[in-house]
Amino acid sequence: MHLLPKFDFYEPDSMAEACKVLAETKTEGKIIAGGTDIMVNMKKGLLSPKYLVSLAKIPGVSSIEPITGGIVIGPNLIVAKLIEFDLMRKKFNLLSKAASVLGSPLIRNRATIGGNIVTARPAADLPPPLMAMGARVVLMRKGKERELPLDDFFVGPGQTKIKPTEILVKIIVDDPPPFTGWDYVKLMHRNALEIAIVAVAVRITLDSPDGIIKDARVILSAVAAKAIHAVSAEKILIGEKPTAKLFARAASLASTDCTPITDIRGGAEYRCAMVETLTNRALSAALLQIKSK
Amino acid sequence: MKKIITLKVNNKEYEVAVAPNRTLTQVLREDLNLPGTKCGCDMGDCGACTVILDDRPVNSCLVLAVQAHNREITTIEGVADGPNLHPIQQAFVEHGAVQCGFCTPGMVLSAKSLLEKNMDPTEHEIREALSGNLCRCTGYQKIVEAVKSASQTMKK
Repeated sequence: MHLLPKFDFYEPDSMAEACKVLAETKTEGKIIAGGTDIMVNMKKGLLSPKYLVSLAKIPGVSSIEPITGGIVIGPNLIVAKLIEFDLMRKKFNLLSKAASVLGSPLIRNRATIGGNIVTARPAADLPPPLMAMGARVVLMRKGKERELPLDDFFVGPGQTKIKPTEILVKIIVDDPPPFTGWDYVKLMHRNALEIAIVAVAVRITLDSPDGIIKDARVILSAVAAKAIHAVSAEKILIGEKPTAKLFARAASLASTDCTPITDIRGGAEYRCAMVETLTNRALSAALLQIKSK
Repeated sequence: MKKIITLKVNNKEYEVAVAPNRTLTQVLREDLNLPGTKCGCDMGDCGACTVILDDRPVNSCLVLAVQAHNREITTIEGVADGPNLHPIQQAFVEHGAVQCGFCTPGMVLSAKSLLEKNMDPTEHEIREALSGNLCRCTGYQKIVEAVKSASQTMKK
């Protein structure tokens, strides 16, 4: 049995109080949401915060709230609910699909969307679809909020723009525009409890059912220090008619946009090759989705 | 500093004083004398420590006992009805789904949670629901068969 280091535990009942408590701990406090990452790191001795602050008792942090033109997701919402909620499965099924391959059912019942974002693992499952959907995050410190696009949030492995005493309080996702299709493809050695070798999230929006590509986002995961846009692939997709030939070119360009490392899960060269394959598949699936609506 | 918490385990209330750094697995096993919940990897990978927390199966090694304050917990000790095994337990015995037995409490609880939501799961749905519980003996086939058979018994 691995013992957790000692810490004090706080469970404030408002976000303002949580900010206050976290500020008082200086840099020695950490937020605990689902605990599926922080507790493992604490057991391994990689982290030993003196204070843990839970958000669980704060009203509204574990729900999804529809707003005009989109939804606001609370940071403490468990991953399982991203799959279970009708609204998510019908309108934001890209996020549901990514959620359904995160960890195991047991992990999905504890792990939270906020935790999956803030821990900033380069192979995390939720940031790629969220970036493809253009999600924004709201951070709070001393009762003051600031909003930034998820695209600008990640810095590197485990590193983000969030300050030590700041809390992720909301994730905002806009409704998909008409004629939008998307897909998330994750390559794994096995089907559960697995970290991606490579994952790709794409979203394309056409200007009309048979028209040209108005907006394209291709997000690559586990092939750089953070989830990245395949910029050159996105560039050649926009303004063109979606064809198999175009998708093949975009996929080939995407493989030049990544900078993977070789590790236990796969070699760098293999990962680049898989970026091409998965990008092509995801683009085709996204188009098929638009056509079948 | 220790906190006084109330745990509602298998329909019985326990009031315990726990240090915040103790996991639900530890408190169930060591303080409440309920050692049916196993401690395997202790990292959320193996599922041996599975308990049902407010209708959802979770890795109790990744839950702080203080986070379970006032919540309903079902452990393997709360599954049988006195001397009568639960249909899932009975099916595990009959299908040879218990070999060394270490994963069994977690498997039974994940299966119970599945069958409460889905009375007639497909093989795929059973495998998916048990995918957080590792078994190194059976190769899973007998476990999947046991859950399928239990679902049929429970429907009657």
